[in-house]
Amino acid sequence: MFSYILRRIWSMIPSLLLASIIVFSFIHLIPGDPAQIMLGDQATPEQVQGLREAMGLDRPLYVQYGRWLSGVVKGDFGTSIFFHQPVLHVILDRAETSVLIAVFSMLLIILVGVPIGILSAVRYNSRIDQLFSGLSMLFASVPTFWLGLNLMLLFSVMLRWLPTSGFPSILESGDWSNLRYLVLPCITLAAPNSALIIRLTRSSMLDVAKADYVKTARAKGLSEGAVNIRHIFRNSLISVVSALGFTFVALMAGTVVTETVFSLPGIGRLVVESVLRRDYPTIQGIILIIAFLYMVINLLVDLSFALLDPRIRYS
Amino acid sequence: MNRTRTILLWSLCFLVIAAGAAFAAEKGGVLRVAVIDEPPTLDQHVVTSDLTTMIAQHIFEGLYTFDSKYSPVPLLVKSEEMKDDGKTAVLSLREGVKFHNGKEMDAGDVLASLERWGKFGARGPVLFSNLEKVEATGKFEVTLTFKAPFAPWKNLLAFMNGGPVIYPKDVASGAEKTPITPEQYIGTGPYKFAERNPGRYIKLVRNEDYAARTEAADGYAGRREALFDEIRFIPVPDVGTRVNGVKAGDYDYAEQILGDLFDSLKEDPSVVTTVNQGANQGLMFFNSREGVLKDNFKLRQALQAAVNMEPVLQSAIGPAELWKASGSFMPESTLWYSKAGLDRFSANNPELTKNLAKEAGYNGEKITLMASTSYKFHYDSTLVIVKQLQAAGFNIDHQIYDWATLISKRGDPTQWDIFFTHHGFVPDPILFTFMSESYPGWWITETKRALAAEFAGTLDEAKRREVWDRIQALVYEEVPVMKTGDHFTYDIYSPKVHGLSESSLIWPKFWGVSFGK
Amino acid sequence: MKFLSAFYRRKIALAGLLIIGVLVVSALLAPYIATFDPQEMNPVDKLRSPDGTYYFGTDNFGRDIFSRVVFGARTSLAGSAGVILFSLSIGVLIGVSSGYFRKIEPYLMRLIDVLMAFPPLLLALVLVSILGRGMGNVIIAVGATYLTRTTRIVYGLTLKLREEPYIEAAVASGVKQKWIILKHILPNMMSPLIVQATFTFAFSLLDMAALDFLGLGIPPSIPSWGNMLSEGRMYLTRAPWLLVFPGACIVLTVLSFNLVGDVLRDRLDPHFRRDIEGV
Repeated sequence: MFSYILRRIWSMIPSLLLASIIVFSFIHLIPGDPAQIMLGDQATPEQVQGLREAMGLDRPLYVQYGRWLSGVVKGDFGTSIFFHQPVLHVILDRAETSVLIAVFSMLLIILVGVPIGILSAVRYNSRIDQLFSGLSMLFASVPTFWLGLNLMLLFSVMLRWLPTSGFPSILESGDWSNLRYLVLPCITLAAPNSALIIRLTRSSMLDVAKADYVKTARAKGLSEGAVNIRHIFRNSLISVVSALGFTFVALMAGTVVTETVFSLPGIGRLVVESVLRRDYPTIQGIILIIAFLYMVINLLVDLSFALLDPRIRYS
Repeated sequence: MNRTRTILLWSLCFLVIAAGAAFAAEKGGVLRVAVIDEPPTLDQHVVTSDLTTMIAQHIFEGLYTFDSKYSPVPLLVKSEEMKDDGKTAVLSLREGVKFHNGKEMDAGDVLASLERWGKFGARGPVLFSNLEKVEATGKFEVTLTFKAPFAPWKNLLAFMNGGPVIYPKDVASGAEKTPITPEQYIGTGPYKFAERNPGRYIKLVRNEDYAARTEAADGYAGRREALFDEIRFIPVPDVGTRVNGVKAGDYDYAEQILGDLFDSLKEDPSVVTTVNQGANQGLMFFNSREGVLKDNFKLRQALQAAVNMEPVLQSAIGPAELWKASGSFMPESTLWYSKAGLDRFSANNPELTKNLAKEAGYNGEKITLMASTSYKFHYDSTLVIVKQLQAAGFNIDHQIYDWATLISKRGDPTQWDIFFTHHGFVPDPILFTFMSESYPGWWITETKRALAAEFAGTLDEAKRREVWDRIQALVYEEVPVMKTGDHFTYDIYSPKVHGLSESSLIWPKFWGVSFGK
Repeated sequence: MKFLSAFYRRKIALAGLLIIGVLVVSALLAPYIATFDPQEMNPVDKLRSPDGTYYFGTDNFGRDIFSRVVFGARTSLAGSAGVILFSLSIGVLIGVSSGYFRKIEPYLMRLIDVLMAFPPLLLALVLVSILGRGMGNVIIAVGATYLTRTTRIVYGLTLKLREEPYIEAAVASGVKQKWIILKHILPNMMSPLIVQATFTFAFSLLDMAALDFLGLGIPPSIPSWGNMLSEGRMYLTRAPWLLVFPGACIVLTVLSFNLVGDVLRDRLDPHFRRDIEGV
């Protein structure tokens, strides 16, 4: 097991290297010039060229890549062109929001999605099942910014229960009541994702229910509840866990629309804005870190399979 | 007699107290301003972003500023003296003005700042190419010597946007092309830079040692008083969220609201609207270096004659209070307003278009028009214009990019024929981008050069205006650029904010502003 | 007939099938159904609420929302169809060849794995930024994010099918590899891939709407539901009809494809069901 983990981690290195080359070449293929964007519409060509030189953007790409890579190896992701701060610092600043959103949305998704999914599967084709199936389909289909703006209109503007937007740092202020800023965004994100988890839990439980060992368990005279929990749910957890794992990564990076609507300082908005500003070091840094996170979660998901299903062994 | 006098005295006393109470601005509190984006830097010298200026004007000050009539008046300067028939300006600086780091401002700081701006600043070269030398001629005296009398110098010194604000000498003399860093945001203004928290806010705090001018406040001039403890500029990119945020009390002020919401927000008791008088104008630049429009003035005039700007502005901006289909490049509120050439503006004349196009020898060649969706009204304006041009028989290729791509593409003259951008308010026509020979479009003709030289060299204000009339007429003849009209952005704020005027001049300012009782 | 009876048992899925039918028909017959030219502007009638002339109201240019929604169906359905065609054709090519040619397999699958590690929306965003806005480019960009998943699925299916007794038998009896792939592997892959495609259709529609929201999708000169939502979002309080109708169309379409995909999935050989991503 231990050597398996080591091997997996070792194989991440060439993958990350490949990922960094792809990212680097892709973003430099995008037309546009960060110096021009920073200086604005009325900057003179000489001014722009001067800033390009000062930032080292006029050097050949392989030189820029080499410098960047040798920095990354030492843990230095370079300096953000737009923020004039170390990239790692900029990312960590935003990580607080993203991690909190991801964690709380995940909690919501699990607490809502899994029980309803089980219920729907146990009561397969009943009224309840059809109601929840319909509802979850609906939520999976609604565009997020539409849901977000309407939630804001209802709970913040009309009822005034929750703040509209923004998120003051908890790490800096130590004020946990700031979590109230994240309630609406988390609901907005959890709605479509828990809908997906409901459907997944339900369908994988139904699949497992048809398996032979479940029939055997029933034949042995186990109670319906015991069969449902001990055999069906446990075994269908595999696909649910892997889906949850990737939902988590997606929530870390792919929440740009929600972050824009609620103007949250998160990773998703940072990366999209960095693309629009052509802030190369920041884009490279984030994508590399997200790719690394994805690979780690991939590994964790695979390992959890072994915990859930005794038949799976890694060596 | 005595009795009358006592009563009079008493009532006068009451009046003063009452007036004092009414105007007693509540000091304190945190003003939360929702802005559209994050500024890349607050370095005023190098950046011309309006957002940067709106924030930075609270921190930094220049030698001059504008009063409510857009005339340049002294700010850090105490008095000036012109010599040698306008070839030399001797500026005496105010004494006792302290930077936020506690040091007193003197001629050394001013000299270093002007030099840095002149070499690397966005608008510095316009002044410095006309300057023979600038030197410190006393501890509090700076002397500018021009190559020839140069009229717009005071306007250039007063315009903050990409302008010469005064930094401490050790900041300015070390700075070059790269913007100065947040630790170097040290100015003389009523608010001090405190913190930049990327993605969250830029925080300014009151400058307790601010050396205010004594004159009454007038426009950006006169007394400036910091009444808030703190101002936070918070990036809120979504306009719906900015509106909701002010309504719900999460922000006190929000900039750049959608035009079509103006009528309903004006009626809304939970917010106050304020229109920015410094007009923006939509501009379409024509490529004078390459392509089908290169020097075909007749074809350009044909395009110009085909459009009708009213539906353009109506669709792109919204309610009529927020735009004016005006062809004068300087707004009506300034002395520069000119009617020269305006019969050609927004002519909407199919007959004329057809004749001009025929004279120009136009045979359906493709004309590439670039616009960006990063600014909604850029795209919206061009959408209507392209429709009109196509209806008039022009073969228009409407290319849509994000802003970053557009400003990179427009640098290459082979890629485009027309691009759309907007131009903010400038106090002197010399600052218009189309007057520069290096701005994409590259309008360089003999006539223009001659007129531009005459314009810069004329000192008499009335004569300068006359030359500007001729330049504007030339613009309508050679059409290096086509104006869509003036449009005014508007902002909203919470009714508890006091001291904001009904409209702001160019950028909203928050000195003299406070929370009421 | 067996196919229809499966739908008959789940009425709601039948409704989904009907909605898809209506959408496809209105997309095909858009010029006959629309009451206005979708691009025609009437500044005088801007931001009118729905009435007898403008069934769904007008936008800030005075363009008819109903006609734009009808023409938008064309763009949105064609866009999603394009994404499926792109991702399936290339996905099958890479997936099957990786399953059959052991030499290239490690490289190809490593590349696919690395691409999967990029957040899909971001990958699409970067690709559109490089290629420029345009219908074809958006299809390529969104298609590329589905390409990785499709390839993975095809690769898994290929490996699984190779082990099937009848294919092993065919190999043993000396049938050429080319024929095995064409005659056995590909046809047997079809039904799981069709199920996958229905879900891809639904999700790619949402992805394209998200790209439109970020201003890097289909050019705004082409009416699409995503573009209408993104242009209309500022008018949420002032003119909600700008959002309601295209929004409802997206919801209904995505919903219908999910429902249909659901029924198809339930009918699928359980052997393949785990390989499919949809839910």
